[in-house]
Amino acid sequence: MADKSFFIDTTKCTACRGCQVACKQWNKNPGTKTVQRGSHQNPADLSSSTFKLVRFSEVDVPGGEPRWYFFPDQCRHCVTPPCKEVAEGKAKGAILHDESTGAVIFNSKVKVAPEVFKEVREACPYDVPRISGAGVMAKCTMCMDRVKEGMLPACVKTCPTGAMAFGDRKAILELAHKRLSEVKGKMKDASLANPDDVRVIYLLVDDPKKYHKFAVAENTIGITRKMALKRIFKPFKEIRVIG
Amino acid sequence: MKITRRNFLKISGATAAGAVVGGLGFDFSPIESYAQELRIKGAKETTTICCFCSVGCGIIVHTDAKGKVINAEGDPDHPISEGALCAKGAASYQIANNPARLQKVRYRAPYSTQWKEVSWEWALDRIAANIKKSRDASFMEKNAQGQVVNRTNGIASVGSAALDNEECWLYSKMLRAMGLIYIEHQARI
Amino acid sequence: MTNHYIDFRNADVILNMGGNVAENHPVSFKWIQVARDRGAIFIHVDPRFTRTSAKADIFVRLRSGTDIAFLGGMIKYILDNNMYDEFYVKNYTNASFIVNPKFSFDDGLFSGYDPRKRAYDKSTWTFERDEQGIPKRDMTLEDPNCVFQLLKKHYSRYTLQKVSEITGTPTSDLEKVYQAYGSTFPANKAGTVLYAMGWTQHTVGVQNIRAMAIIQDLLGNMGIAGGGVNALRGESNVQGATDAGLLFHIWPGYLPTPRASLATLEDYNKTTPVSKDPRSINWWKNRPKYVVSFLKSMFGEKATKENDFGYSWMPKLDVGQDASWLNLFDEMYKGTFTGFFVWGMNPACSSAHAGKVRQALVKLDWMVNVNVFNSETAEFWRGPGVDPKKVKTEVFQLPCAAFLEKEGSISNSGRWMQWRYKAANPPGEARPDGDIMYELFKKVKALYEKEKGVFPEPILNLKWDYETNGHFDIHKVAKEINGYDLTTGKLMANFVGLKDDGTTSCGNWLYSASYTEAGNMAARRKKTDPTGLGLYPEWSWCWPLNRRIIYNRASVDLEGNPRDPKRPLLKWDAAEKKWVGDVPDNAVPPMGTNGAYPFIMKPDGVASLFGPGLADGPFPEHYEPLECPIEKNLMSSQRINPVIKVFEGGPDTFATCDPKYPFVCTTYRVTEHWQTGVLTRWLPWLIEAEPQVFCEISLELGRLRGIKNGDRVIVETPRGKLEAVAIVTSRLKPFNVAGQTIHQIGLPWHFGWLHPKDGGESANLLTPTIGDPNTMIPESKAFMANVRKLAVAPAKKPAGKS
Repeated sequence: MADKSFFIDTTKCTACRGCQVACKQWNKNPGTKTVQRGSHQNPADLSSSTFKLVRFSEVDVPGGEPRWYFFPDQCRHCVTPPCKEVAEGKAKGAILHDESTGAVIFNSKVKVAPEVFKEVREACPYDVPRISGAGVMAKCTMCMDRVKEGMLPACVKTCPTGAMAFGDRKAILELAHKRLSEVKGKMKDASLANPDDVRVIYLLVDDPKKYHKFAVAENTIGITRKMALKRIFKPFKEIRVIG
Repeated sequence: MKITRRNFLKISGATAAGAVVGGLGFDFSPIESYAQELRIKGAKETTTICCFCSVGCGIIVHTDAKGKVINAEGDPDHPISEGALCAKGAASYQIANNPARLQKVRYRAPYSTQWKEVSWEWALDRIAANIKKSRDASFMEKNAQGQVVNRTNGIASVGSAALDNEECWLYSKMLRAMGLIYIEHQARI
Repeated sequence: MTNHYIDFRNADVILNMGGNVAENHPVSFKWIQVARDRGAIFIHVDPRFTRTSAKADIFVRLRSGTDIAFLGGMIKYILDNNMYDEFYVKNYTNASFIVNPKFSFDDGLFSGYDPRKRAYDKSTWTFERDEQGIPKRDMTLEDPNCVFQLLKKHYSRYTLQKVSEITGTPTSDLEKVYQAYGSTFPANKAGTVLYAMGWTQHTVGVQNIRAMAIIQDLLGNMGIAGGGVNALRGESNVQGATDAGLLFHIWPGYLPTPRASLATLEDYNKTTPVSKDPRSINWWKNRPKYVVSFLKSMFGEKATKENDFGYSWMPKLDVGQDASWLNLFDEMYKGTFTGFFVWGMNPACSSAHAGKVRQALVKLDWMVNVNVFNSETAEFWRGPGVDPKKVKTEVFQLPCAAFLEKEGSISNSGRWMQWRYKAANPPGEARPDGDIMYELFKKVKALYEKEKGVFPEPILNLKWDYETNGHFDIHKVAKEINGYDLTTGKLMANFVGLKDDGTTSCGNWLYSASYTEAGNMAARRKKTDPTGLGLYPEWSWCWPLNRRIIYNRASVDLEGNPRDPKRPLLKWDAAEKKWVGDVPDNAVPPMGTNGAYPFIMKPDGVASLFGPGLADGPFPEHYEPLECPIEKNLMSSQRINPVIKVFEGGPDTFATCDPKYPFVCTTYRVTEHWQTGVLTRWLPWLIEAEPQVFCEISLELGRLRGIKNGDRVIVETPRGKLEAVAIVTSRLKPFNVAGQTIHQIGLPWHFGWLHPKDGGESANLLTPTIGDPNTMIPESKAFMANVRKLAVAPAKKPAGKS
């Protein structure tokens, strides 16, 4: 099985929240108690019961029509997951990285101490990790059980508008770049969110912060491809410190 | 160095190189043990159509050996929905598995403050008797102009777009045979 | 729908107006997206910026209740700019028909108005006819009394400026929409319109849709792939329930319910639509066959020629009697009924003026409620402010199977009749609705057999034999609906063979051909698509006759060639003398070869630009909603639709231009809930996503009323009030209406007091008892309300707006 990736084209997302519910259905996650807080986004945030959350973000345009951005948030299944780096030394086996799909998996059989979880969450550029009351970390599983059987993840399968795609990473990257070039013509601010670093690639057409505080990794803003490449060749020992 | 959100790319970039030298890698066997058997493997599949809006999306319902619904998701062969379901359709599972479902016939007597569980037999007998009483008391053979109308003025019905076609037709047939003219449903509102 | 959901993909321009397709028909947005990927323009016109607007290429606002002004302006724009399909207008509409010279329109009133009756004498709304009775025509469209010229004259008043003053839509926005939608007038362009309750729930509901139908006719968009007038209906089988005649005014298959003046079947058949024009097929001329076949399905062998096939056993309405929803509950409120069935409904929350409905239910001796979950209707006797010890009503709550626990078919908005199979048993003692009806009526019948009673004939003679091996068998009902040739006992192949002599039976002629000797057509799952247009003729079945696009002969020229070669819906094969493509509507040769007009359900065979059949006029005219924010209708002296029935007294109160209720209010739905929430409020994943009733207001109104996002507010009208959480949003904006600032607010009607306890109440506590004069569908989409901040601290600190 080849390395897998998602492409999430937010220009096609209507926030029907089929993905949010299909995710709960497949993962047997309960509905949680919520209240109306002046937003259609509910639950308010990701949790150990909510692996996929459609974020609603309203952008007022003075003198014009507003923009309403929908962002189906989930674990990005990083190419090199920093959460795993953190967990490695402190909660062995808590986070696994599947070789065949590239899925980053929180092991439900391993309990994690609150302080370790805090570090894991802090390490995630996308603020995805969550923990249950029982001390088990939780997030999107890439529907590994489905994917291993050749099925689509539940969220992708249920998406009506083609906002979500899933497949071999190479093909998904091609699709993402192709769609970006189509959209770029009309919307000059269009971008892919950290396509080389994550397996869940979002197409955004505005400042990523307008979608969600953690839509892209914070320090990517202003970083050119060249600079990023330069970083790759920084001394290796710098990161060995974390171990 | 502590890993934080701020230096993600640094790490990401560096470990991409690191992976080459084998410092970091993937997990092999643990994932295999983690990945559960697909729970719908071997389950019975039944096709149906979503009960909510009028698009008519296809749903596949998976049931286990005991006949319990264990999964419900879009029918990929369906030409309209092609496997998709919105939030409502995707929640179909919770219609089948829901402790709040009505499971007993209940009766509320005049002036009572509560429900009482009753049998189907008792309830249907009593409803039939009520129908007859109301019908016989309110039946009008001729109207004020002396025209034949043969109708039951004292019973009304609303419903239902939530019924199947065959049930709608049967209901329409039954109501009109009983002489009802006040017959309405969701299409009016 | 004249067309079907997949067909959205064939359009060049898609207009969603009076609806919110992305939120309320979410999966259908797939096909809008496919069209957009191809370059189609998607337009949303609505009082609110919704999830649909977020995906629109053009989004334009209008004040609730001003759609006719908006569309009237489009008609004028199309005519002024010669953006109409001349061939189509001349050949396939009544544009060329000469209207009675006595017909007139003046200051908001058509000829024949009687203010005492609040009704029209429609005798002047007619066409001039020749000696044969065929309408006179002027194919040059120049006669001042022809429909085309009258149309032009009528809408000449709908100038951009005037329309803008009424709707609050800037003229530049109007032009943007008119230009984009009008661009579909060439034969090789297709425009489709998708509407929903945003058009029907008005005192001018039918005329809203008529106005759009006129536009579609002018643009040549009816009967073509990617065109049509498409109602996105609210429920999975509201189409089927309507087809089955679960409405006071129709029997199954849209046969009119007989009136008391029609004492015999012969009298009834005399009202069959007639056309003297040999080129008009006037399909309704076949109605007597369908009526007799229906009566045979009712009474079987007991229906004989001698007894008028049991016609006299069927209940009759008085002449002029309207037993529709609002009147039904008005009568209930007055104590007319002792018994009431509420089968799969929740009127205590779903009805306009739900407060009146709740008071009406108390007057009943008994009520039967059948539902999947508990509801506010079932529990009305202990609802808010009700003392159960004072409520006499006996209530029966019968638990029924959910959709996936039984077998049967439903019909979607595209008229696709789709079969559902049973996946699991219903829980506990719950039973399929069909089983409940079947057993219940057996008991009624047995009671009349035993005890006799008043006029027992229709009950005792009813054909009620739908069992197999002692169990109710839904397939037997499906076959009864399809119909039988009683001389052979075989299932009918289709309705063409139905007869008026009692030798055929058919429960609903429109569904004849759905369950034939070849099998259950609704259960078909073959995915062939010979036209390439997404018709899928062997997937399920659709009425009539599996015709996927109605009036499809309007897509061809006089020789039978597709006018749009890119989207060839139908083509006449001259050699074989047959149509290729969709099932033709209907199988007569092309018009150029002695064929017939394409609009076969219309008596004149053509589409009606001039529509004399409605209660409120042959041309749609703008009137204000019953409750509106301006003293004067800017179009005429008639503020409101002059023929609406105004309910007065008791709980029926109204407030128009009243400073106590200064804001235009509308009700609506969200994706995550369905109708009153009678199912969805009980599903934890959905109530998690939309947990409580909210009221959306603009930033400007928030400032005006000191309401912040997340504050609790009171929304009130003269009928009732409820608490809601304010969503203060730039997605709502005030309108500039005739120089005044008018605020628009809105709230969903998915909630009710029973569950969840903190979910809030039904928005229908606010809505008025007032209906469209043709359909009596309530005006829930435009009424006046007040919103004010609740003087207590919010339960939780509101989060930042997102």
